Amino acid sequence: MSEMVARVRIPQTARRGDAVEIRAMITHPMESGFRLDNMGRPIARHIVESFTCTYDGQQVFRATLHPAVSTNPYFVFYLAATHSADLLFTWTDDHGDVARHTAYLTVAD
Amino acid sequence: MSKSIRTDRRDFLVKTAALTGGFAFGIPLPNASAAASVPELTHWIVIRPDELVTIRIARSELGQGTFTGLAMLIAEELDCNWQNVRAEYADVNEHVRRDRVFGSMSTGGSRGIRESQEYVRKGGAAAREMLIAAAAQEWRVPVAECSADSGAITHEGSNRRKTYGKVADAASRLPVPKDPKLKDPKQWKLIGTSPARFDIPDKTTGKQLYAADVRLPGLLHASIAQCPVFGSKLKSADDSKIKSMRGVKKIVRGDDWVAVVADNWWRANQALKQMPVEWEASDNDKVSSESIKQFLRTGIDAKDVPVARKDGDCESAITGAEKIIEAEYYAPYMNHATMEPQNATALVHEDRVEVWVGTQNGETTIAAASEAAGIPLEQVIVHKMHAGGAFGRRGAHQEYTKQAVLIAQTLPGTPVSLQWSREEDMQQGRYRPVALVKQRAGLDADGNWIAWHVRQADQSIWATVRPSDIKNGVDPVNTRSFQDMPYAVPNYTDEYAMRNTHVPPGFWRAVAHTNNPIFRECFIDEVAHAAGRDPYAFRRPLLRNKQKDLAVLDAVAKAVGWGTLAEKGIHRGIAVVDSYGSYTAAAVEIEVKDGTGIDVKRVIVALDPGYVVHLDAVKAQMQGGVLWGLGSAMHEEITIKDGRVVQSNFSDYPVLRLAEAPDKIETIVMPSGGFWGGVGEPPIGAVVPALCNAIFAATGKRIRSMPLKQHGFSYV
Amino acid sequence: MADRHPSAFSRRRTTLRAIAAGVGFLLVRPSVATPDDLAIALREAFGDRPITPGKLKLEVPRLAENGSVVPVAITVESPMTAQDHVKSIHLFAENNPLPRVLSVELGPYNGRARVATRIRIAASQQIRGVAVMSDGSLWSAAVDVEVTVGGCAP
Repeated sequence: MSEMVARVRIPQTARRGDAVEIRAMITHPMESGFRLDNMGRPIARHIVESFTCTYDGQQVFRATLHPAVSTNPYFVFYLAATHSADLLFTWTDDHGDVARHTAYLTVAD
Repeated sequence: MSKSIRTDRRDFLVKTAALTGGFAFGIPLPNASAAASVPELTHWIVIRPDELVTIRIARSELGQGTFTGLAMLIAEELDCNWQNVRAEYADVNEHVRRDRVFGSMSTGGSRGIRESQEYVRKGGAAAREMLIAAAAQEWRVPVAECSADSGAITHEGSNRRKTYGKVADAASRLPVPKDPKLKDPKQWKLIGTSPARFDIPDKTTGKQLYAADVRLPGLLHASIAQCPVFGSKLKSADDSKIKSMRGVKKIVRGDDWVAVVADNWWRANQALKQMPVEWEASDNDKVSSESIKQFLRTGIDAKDVPVARKDGDCESAITGAEKIIEAEYYAPYMNHATMEPQNATALVHEDRVEVWVGTQNGETTIAAASEAAGIPLEQVIVHKMHAGGAFGRRGAHQEYTKQAVLIAQTLPGTPVSLQWSREEDMQQGRYRPVALVKQRAGLDADGNWIAWHVRQADQSIWATVRPSDIKNGVDPVNTRSFQDMPYAVPNYTDEYAMRNTHVPPGFWRAVAHTNNPIFRECFIDEVAHAAGRDPYAFRRPLLRNKQKDLAVLDAVAKAVGWGTLAEKGIHRGIAVVDSYGSYTAAAVEIEVKDGTGIDVKRVIVALDPGYVVHLDAVKAQMQGGVLWGLGSAMHEEITIKDGRVVQSNFSDYPVLRLAEAPDKIETIVMPSGGFWGGVGEPPIGAVVPALCNAIFAATGKRIRSMPLKQHGFSYV
Repeated sequence: MADRHPSAFSRRRTTLRAIAAGVGFLLVRPSVATPDDLAIALREAFGDRPITPGKLKLEVPRLAENGSVVPVAITVESPMTAQDHVKSIHLFAENNPLPRVLSVELGPYNGRARVATRIRIAASQQIRGVAVMSDGSLWSAAVDVEVTVGGCAP
């Protein structure tokens, strides 16, 4: 199985109180289980099932994915910037594989 | 000599204003409405004060006459003066902004007329009611006392008359009737006739502009090379030596292609040919037609295979049969080989993208361009052009549209015409899938056909288009003619083994109704022969529950004189197929000279499409279907070697020549009414099997694989 | 046949709206639809709780070429305060092999109830978003997406 590679985009700095935009993507085939192989047999499902983001340890985003999410799942969501802290992004797929990515959000007044 | 489509400043301004203003009534191009705001009578119809009736067409003209046919349907219900009618394509951008008001734009599956007819006729009928209502209002008389005919409303009581143009403005302000009354087919005056088609004159004189002819100020030209082994990627393209060649402006790379942009196409293509390009190695580098055939064979030999249809108990019936007939049939990949190679022109502005393309589906084009450019649909303008041949190539797969947009994005503000070379077109097709079929039949002691087993092994197109529609491994498109075979054989099984290769499949005119009818109708002849029966007489009782199939079969048998003595040396073949909602049969008369020279004397095709809109267009489709069938049967095959397509041009992928055409083609158009069947594809189905059956009658040689030339045959 | 959810949108409502807008003539949609599957999925997710149209806005292109990568943005009107916020958003595709697409948990910590992603749409159908608010109320919106690929197949 190929590696899950994460790409995350957060603002360089955020103003306290702003709702900042977070973009996160993970490479993953998101094999739906409905595609057929070359002899017409369904190719086994293999998808990212959950994606979470924590901000200073607290969950601020959680997505439960089903096969209809496109290959290389991509999410844009918002975060109320309160203080500078770590953002931890975690993707878990149905094989139990986990990918993690950290980014530090700098929040100024 | 090509004429330019000049987008001058006034047009540009109108377009821009139309975009920002909400929706555009018609973008001023050849064939588009002159003024920006003219009264609209439903979204289908615009009537000017000078009586000009503009009818908007959502589907595409591919040479099949749909552009004129759809206008006729509307004009019939509108009761306008046909002499005042002109047709134009509904604007795709406007269509999206108005929430898909023009309905489906998909022109394929012989759907253009039959799937639009009800709602476009209702558009015409609604407009007519609005016009009558407006006149009645003006005259202050009851609507019921007014009538409309030939572009004018009359109030008999007061002997007053008004032409449509005079009330169109007022009528356009009235509410659109929700359920307008349609004429009974018996009342049709225009439908069923053959008025001059809108597209033929310009096509005949060379005035017709295709997407390949688009010329815009500052236009650059691009030639492209795509990875010859399907599915692999571009490794490198060394432009160091070619980028300074005369006229070369830019080299653009995609995942699996590289293009050269220059000031004319010749220079672009020359530079491209001289550029060292490397493609990534792939597992598919070793695939050949032979290896593909072996792969198909695993489907024929497999133990358990998805069942498309099962009537009775085939296995027991065959085991207990008195006589067993067995045969294997094969048909190769086929290419569309449209006269106009694939091409698209794109112009990327800061806030919008324009594309010019001959497309079978304006919606596919706008979606493809939008996705390639990464901008919303509302910012994409599609200039839909008549296609120089489509046959299924210009619908689902629009790589050329996306490529043109991607290339044009590297040159914002500069229009780029991407033209695939003929070689590229031949080798980057979306091919009619290859197929291997094994059939077995059982006859009882009395010579009755009691069992029929079909095992198909072929490449599924649907698996790439909509895999979730494939239930239990059965491809609903590829099993046509077998899964729905009409003959009353008590024990019948059709099994489908999907075997997909790396060769990209696509919808070739009539799709599975090109090869499956050959396999089926030729095999029926084999069974008839084994039973010692005449193939026509053998079929008739088996079609006892299928009156429409029987009717077309009887019609061609009668017309060819089946059962009567033919002239010396003349041999006949017959076949019947239903497809796309219509019924067709063909009878072919040939003479074989020197054992291998086939002289096709007569081809008779009968078609029952339910209703006929443009009679001459229907006949033309039947005649064209005959030529399509005969040409493909003799000459056409796409073969694979080293993972790539061997054929590159009409030199090695010949199509039918004029001299090879039959001496006579007779068309029997027999619409039985009560249903709407397709016309573009159905006429093809029965032609080739009828020919093959005639070849057997003439030579004793049973044709089980296409094309005919591989058996040493040629047309003389 | 499963009972339709009492508040589940039916195609009929869209039909009436379209006619009222003066765009009269509707097409027969492809009959691969499984609105019953959607009704079941909605019931499984939300029980019998009423779902009201509103507050949620779905941005999806009206046309998709082949439906494999369709951008979707969901925005819900909400102050996103501790007292009044969106708790979760759910996305459904009535005509996909599985109607559930995605579920997202949110809270006042988001500041803005907007999520964007890319989804697969198997065939032309209605995409529906449902938002669950902190007061337990359910809100929804639906958009029709036409998937254009399908070419010459009859």
